[in-house]
Amino acid sequence: MKKGFSRTWRALLPWPRPPGGERYAVCHFCDTLHQSFPVDEGTAARCARCGALLYQNRPASLARASAFSLAALLLMALVHVFPFLTMDAATMRRDLTLVGAATALMEQDAPILGTAIILFTMITPLMLAGGMIYVCLPLMFGRAAPGAGHAAKWMYRSEPWNMVEVFLLGVLVSLMKLAKVADVHFGIGFWAFAGVMLCMAGAVAGIDREELWDRLEVAKG
Amino acid sequence: MSAPLPKAADVGLAGCHTCGKVSPVSLKHCPRCGTHLHLRKPASIEGTIALMAAAAALFIPSHLLPVMTVVELGETTHNTIIGGMMTFWRTGAYPIAIVIFTASILIPFLKIAALSWLCLAATGRVHPSPAALGRIYWFTELLGRWSMIDIFVVGILVSVVQLGNYMAITPGPGALAFAGVVVLTMFAAMRFEPRLLWDRLDELPATPPPNPTKPAS
Repeated sequence: MKKGFSRTWRALLPWPRPPGGERYAVCHFCDTLHQSFPVDEGTAARCARCGALLYQNRPASLARASAFSLAALLLMALVHVFPFLTMDAATMRRDLTLVGAATALMEQDAPILGTAIILFTMITPLMLAGGMIYVCLPLMFGRAAPGAGHAAKWMYRSEPWNMVEVFLLGVLVSLMKLAKVADVHFGIGFWAFAGVMLCMAGAVAGIDREELWDRLEVAKG
Repeated sequence: MSAPLPKAADVGLAGCHTCGKVSPVSLKHCPRCGTHLHLRKPASIEGTIALMAAAAALFIPSHLLPVMTVVELGETTHNTIIGGMMTFWRTGAYPIAIVIFTASILIPFLKIAALSWLCLAATGRVHPSPAALGRIYWFTELLGRWSMIDIFVVGILVSVVQLGNYMAITPGPGALAFAGVVVLTMFAAMRFEPRLLWDRLDELPATPPPNPTKPAS
């Protein structure tokens, strides 16, 4: 790292190394200790013993993660405006939205299931995309947002509970069930949610966990 | 195999579960993100088994109780997960029937079986190959969430099919039990410590099987 660079310029450099002597990486699967060394953009370091991924250097990581998260957030707004499905049956028209599905369950004496839908399809994607943008966007300018460490921690904790793609498959199965009794159409909400799914995958794959934390450490220090 | 690779735990180093930073375990908390440091997740096997047992117990009512109740023109039918799958199969919608079978029966069942096997391997009762263990662990981590599809289908149908006297769908107690199965197996998989499997493998050469002519499978 060259001295005299401003924080902003340092942020644009590829994956900075935080200060302080020898660095190590531990395989999360078999606990083998490795010496951590920089890898070229687009390549990954794998565990010498079990082959599990240690870390990977993604090209344009901060820009990619921020852009995909921003797109996911915008699409999430569309998801709440337009219905997933529209059903015409017996002179009645019913729309499906995420909030509608959750409130219907709550009204029908299944508050826990309603909460599960809110949690897994609305709150966790919001935590993931919102957390990512909150952490990565200031990092692009070499700064750590206040509480960025906590935000990153909770973002990664919410990751396994993000079930956007599972809900989408659920919509398809429901469509097949409903097609027998009524006239059902896809709405913009469905396609927007499919977009959310792709953008979230792009955002999470856009920046390596180690790189994000290394950059946070450099920006804070 | 070449020279044995060093383990972080052998030199008192721990990789942080949250941020990956390697620090001496004596620090107690990760200097970078504040997460509690430990060499191995505490009481991992006990926790996994407890969560898994609860999931297995809920698995039975989740398939015996109705996940939803359909009232069509005054006629009430209680639908179980298996019943819904059979209807799809009979009407020729095989792909959907297979998706439901996979998500609601095969995955929870295989996941409980796989975690039990991993717990046996981690306590040294079975000695499978590292490659097989890796694949099984990956499977339990990755596929568990897909079982939630049944819960989402119930939510979607309850929300959309509210057509007054013509047809209405209400959620049943089976759905709650099934959601419990999914969440509990997810927690069980997170609780499991894969490093224990490799700790066992390292012990193997030092302790040969008691009966060399009949190796443990």
